[in-house]
This record gives sequence, structure tokens and C-alpha cells, in this order.
Amino acid sequence: MNKRGALTTIAAAAVVATGLGTPLWAAAAAPTEIKIGAPISMSGLLAADGLEQKWSYEQAVADVNAAGGIFIKAANKKLPVRLVFADDQSDPSKVTDAMERLIKVEKVDLILSTHGGDLNMAGALAAEKYKKFYMITTMWPHDWGPKKFKWSALFFYDAAGGAEVPFKIWESLPPDQRPKKPALVVEDSPDGQGFGGVFKSLAKKYNVQFVLDEPWAMGAKDYSAYILKMKARGADAVLLFGSPGDSITMVRQMKEQNFSVPYLHGWKGTWPYEFREALGDASDYVLADGFWSPEYPYPGAKELGERYTKQFNKSSTSIGMFYANAQVMLKAIETSGSLEPKAVRDAVAGHEFKGTVQGDVKFDAAGLALITSTANQWWQGKHRLVYPTQAGGWTLKLAPPWNQRK
Amino acid sequence: MNPLHGKLGLKIAIGVVLAFALVPFIPDAHEHYLFFYLFLVFVNIIVAQGWNVVAGYTGQISLAQHAFFGIGGYTTALLAIHFFEDGGSYFNPLLLAASGVVAALFAIVIGFPLLSKLAGDYFALGTLGLGEIVRVVLIKGGRATGGSAGISMSPEPFETLMPHYWVGLLLAAACTLVVFLMSRSRLGLALMAVREDSIAAAASGVPVLRMKVGAFAASAFMTGLAGSLYAFYVFAVSPGGFLNLSWTLYPILMCVMGGSGTVLGPVLGAFVMTAVFSAGNVYLPGVHPIVSGALIILVMLFMPSGILRMREGRRRRAKTGQQVEKGSQASGVAPSR
Repeated sequence: MNKRGALTTIAAAAVVATGLGTPLWAAAAAPTEIKIGAPISMSGLLAADGLEQKWSYEQAVADVNAAGGIFIKAANKKLPVRLVFADDQSDPSKVTDAMERLIKVEKVDLILSTHGGDLNMAGALAAEKYKKFYMITTMWPHDWGPKKFKWSALFFYDAAGGAEVPFKIWESLPPDQRPKKPALVVEDSPDGQGFGGVFKSLAKKYNVQFVLDEPWAMGAKDYSAYILKMKARGADAVLLFGSPGDSITMVRQMKEQNFSVPYLHGWKGTWPYEFREALGDASDYVLADGFWSPEYPYPGAKELGERYTKQFNKSSTSIGMFYANAQVMLKAIETSGSLEPKAVRDAVAGHEFKGTVQGDVKFDAAGLALITSTANQWWQGKHRLVYPTQAGGWTLKLAPPWNQRK
Repeated sequence: MNPLHGKLGLKIAIGVVLAFALVPFIPDAHEHYLFFYLFLVFVNIIVAQGWNVVAGYTGQISLAQHAFFGIGGYTTALLAIHFFEDGGSYFNPLLLAASGVVAALFAIVIGFPLLSKLAGDYFALGTLGLGEIVRVVLIKGGRATGGSAGISMSPEPFETLMPHYWVGLLLAAACTLVVFLMSRSRLGLALMAVREDSIAAAASGVPVLRMKVGAFAASAFMTGLAGSLYAFYVFAVSPGGFLNLSWTLYPILMCVMGGSGTVLGPVLGAFVMTAVFSAGNVYLPGVHPIVSGALIILVMLFMPSGILRMREGRRRRAKTGQQVEKGSQASGVAPSR
């Protein structure tokens, strides 16, 4: 490199150094606000979920600020809450980058989680490194628990609890309406196979036999072979675990081949609104997994759902869980009256949080709270809560044959 | 001869490395994002220099760097959880070296059949397929590889980012030194001969296949080291994070922008592009991929030879212009504009 090149390099490095943030020697100012960070999947494959999560966190913080903020002992007054986001690009290796930015550039006090198991594992590990409290939702307890993390808490349902929902729904039906010949169609992926294994072990417990149990090819365009087999074996229910695209294709081809089952329950692929948009009324009667429901009788649940529908003209079965995740952290700050990560974490572990939009959430000493996975039936473009059953709530509708649907 | 290419250049390089090595001694430097940025730059330099060896000097476009990065990271994580349960894995040089060696062995095993049959675009596509195979194998590996969730190590030993910074700096400097020494050796000359014309190189006695495979393995070794270093930083390896195609595309962009087939091009490219990506992420969250994409197009349009070769290109164009002018004066025809 010549002299000019060397000087250009040094100048570029200097520009980079000054452009990337505060000076190395910046002194910490006295806090005048509660600064909460969140790595969010704002781009990449999980961006749709990430934007729901971002919206939910913003609503929770806006609601707290509208009530005057949170009292902090050290400041001897209520402080407003400010949310700061960093894009994790739906990439686990970028979550740590986002955490670095939140901790070192934004100097956040506490951190709310991103969405998804491997991303949250990366986030929890970064929180352990920097001793920042990381409040997590959407991560399997069996992945989080054995790590014995000291700087995070988790609330989510366990895989077995989620997979047991259809069996519980079937038990609640009159005997003549219970499926006798269910089919298990799970995508050929580790998650699909993992979930499929749980379904199969639960089937033994509930004395159910699947008439079809075959891995489902991901991204295929033609599922006629599966449909013909289900038809030939007289399947009267389908448990479907697959992506939205594959789930849409499967239901569309079931309709084209005039094959209908009274009970079709999907995981992963049937809850997004795109499922409804792609299938229109053919999505009616289909059940979807979910994390939450605006039909929950808990304080603020209905209003939150209405707020979301008003803004985006669709319903969601996730926003309440994300909102509640923020609610737990905000309530823990209030209880502890502190912004110290350890104090806030101690205010979560072993404590119960009453009146969240997710109901009462009780954490064990390790910082784990189990919630119930929901089942929601699509009906005229809305998710209607089927499980857990609510008094006076929606009653499951079993699907008639295609030619008898209105 | 340019004085910066000789002893003076070496002294400046040593001075710069020493200056970077002293950065952690600035009070609270490790608490600053800039410190993390430099660590990322070092990781990117290692990966970019790896690609520089195989593509920049040898002319074999590899799109499998993410596979080698992943293999390096997984080797570290697997060895750490199976053989160092009682601790001692953290920055263990054996693990670092093993990660590079496993990636290099993999490159040799795959490299011979690929490079003996394929060249150019076909080799590039073949290596892209290799990355996919590794990703699927790791996902399908069940308990052994942790499936889609991957493997996590205990973050207990982490205290500061300083060890990562110093090891990153050391490895980046070492990789750059290797490329520098190689570029001035008979080996480098042979690699460049393969790049320019493999038939002519073979006719001159250069063992073309061995050269290509050796460069591919050296590239994999460097990239595997980077994967190992990054695994020690995130403590969790997963197909989504370590087999991400960005571990191939970004280093290529860095090399191309700085100047592939040069010693300092990947270094310069890593500094600039990491800053651009980091700044985009900080100031334009959610839309920075658009900025990155636009930047890639601009680089390809205006700097296809890289920053370090821009002057060379201008000089060559000026020389050609002069020659054309001389020729036209001699023939009495005005040069067209």
C-alpha cells in the first residue's frame, strides 16, 4: 500500500471509530428513565413474529408510561420507561451482536427477549456473560432449564403440554363425536419429528391409534399421496405440523380432492393470518395452535386484542404473551423499586404476577412459569378460542364435508 | 520499489498491530461497542483472508466458507462439551487448532473430487451445495449435534471480551502475515499462475490440483479458526447462526471491496464493511439489508477490483489512453471520445 492508501485507511478507521457511538471515555450520566432493551427479529425469516412482538412491548410500555411510569427508590420518584430495539436479523449469531449494542451502546438496564428457541438461547447466554436480566418468552423449558441460568427467567409452555391439547379437546367431546381414526402429518424436520414423537407417546397414553403417520415433505407442491392415503384409511381427524406455506397447500389440495375431516388441527402453519388470507372461507373450522387469546377473561386481554385488530385489521394469538412478558418485567421493577438486574430477577423468580393479560403467572424458584398453549378455531376470519375452555366462550365446530359448507 | 512494501511497511504493520493490542488497556475500553466492533473486524479479517487465499490468489471461487465456519464452531463446541466437562476448554489452543484442522481435512476430502472435475462457476456451485449438505447433516444429527437448536457451552468462564479481542487480533495478524509471506514466495507465484492460466501453469510444472486443494484447505483452516473463536464468544453454535450464508457472502464482499488477491485488501474491506453493517444495524434497524444490498451493487459497479487496485486501474487506464493517443498521432487519426 502506498502512503496515500495508508493515510486513507487510517482516516477511514478514525471515521468509523467516531461514527459508531459514544467516545471511549464517556462518563455515565445519572439515570432519568428506565431503559429497557429488546433484540427483535425486525428482518429475516421471523420478521412477521418480531413485529408483533415489538408492537406488544411498545403497548405495554406505553400503558405503564400513561400511568405515570414506575417508582424507583434510588430516584425517589416515578421514572418513565423507554424501549430500545436492536435487530437480530432472525439469526442466532446476530442476537449476541444485538445484545452487545443494547448493553454497550444503549446502556440498557434490563432486556426483554426475542422470539424463538435458538435465538433466545443466544440471548440468554449473552445475558449470563454481561449479568443483565433477560426476561424470556418462546423457548422450550427443556432447553432453558438444564442450563440453570442465573440472569434470565422464562415463561412459556412445555412441548408435552402443547401436544396434549388435541387429546384434551377430544376427551371433552361427546363419545360419538370423538375422532376414531386420526392421522398424524408432521413435517420432516427436527422440530416436526420432535413434536411428532410427543404426539405418538401421548397417543398411547390416550389409547389413540394414528391411521397414518408419515413424515411430511417440506416445500413440496403435491400432497395428493398423503390425501389419498388418509381418504383410503378413513381418517376423521388430522394433526398437522408444518410451515404456513405447506399447511395452505395441504388444505387447498384437500378441498380440491373433496377430502374433509371433522377435526383438522395445525401447529406452526395454521395460525398466521396469511393462512386465512390464502384460503378464505376454506380456513373455517381449522384449528391453530397459539400462545394467547383476546377471548381470555383476564384484565386487558380483550382491549389489547381490539387495539391490535383496529390497527392492523386482523387478529393475533401471540401479542398477549409478548405483552405479558413485558408486564412481568415492569411489575418486577415496580416490586423491587430497582433497576439492578439481580434485584429485578429476584423479584421474578419464586413470585406470582396477578392480573396479566395472560392471567396469573407464577414463577418457580428457578425462574420458570408454565403457561397453557391455546387452540383457536378459524371462523370468518377470526381466531376463536377453543382451548382452554372458557365459560360462555366459543364452542368447537366440527367441519362438515366441503359440499355441505356454506 | 515502493518503500511501504519493504521493511518500512513491515514496521508500520507491526506498529499498527501493537497499537491495536494496546487498545484494551484504555480504561473501560472493553465496555464500549467499538471494542466489540474491532473483535468482529478481526473475525471477518480471518474469514476474508481465508477466501482471499483460495479465490483471490488461486482463482477458485469458494462459496463454502460458511460450512467451514460452522465446522470450526461445531468442532469447538463438541470437543468442549464431550472432553472438557470439568472446564479447561475456554480458549484452549488445542480446540482452536483442532477446529481449523477438522475444517481443513474436510476441505481436502471434498476438494479433491470437486477440484479435479470442476472449475469456475461449476466449482462455486459445487461448494455452495457443500454448505447445504453440512447444514442438513448438522440439523439431522439429532442429539450428537443438537439438531436445529444446536449446542451450547457454559458461559461461566466469560469475564470480559479482552481474550477474544487479543486472540482475534493475533489470528487476524497471523493470517495476514501468512498471506503476505505466501504472496512473496514461489508458492504464491504458483497459486497466481494457476489463477491466471491453469493449463500454462501445469505446462510449467505446477501441480495444479495439489495447489488448488492446498489453497482450499488453507482457506478452510483459517475459516475454521474463525468459527472456533466465534463459538468461544457466543457459547452456542446452531445451524441458523453458524451455517448462515452471510459467513460466505460478507467476507467475499469485504475481499472484493478491499481488493481480492492483495494482502491488505481483505483487511481494509473488513474494517469498512463491518462498520457499514454495524452502523446500518444501529441506525437503520430492519431496513439495513436494503442498504447492504445497494452497497454490494455499488461496489460491483464502481470498484470491481477493490479499493487497493483503484489507483492501479487508473494508472493502467491512463497508460492505455496515452498509448492510444500516441498511436492515433502516429496514424493521424483523432481518438474518439
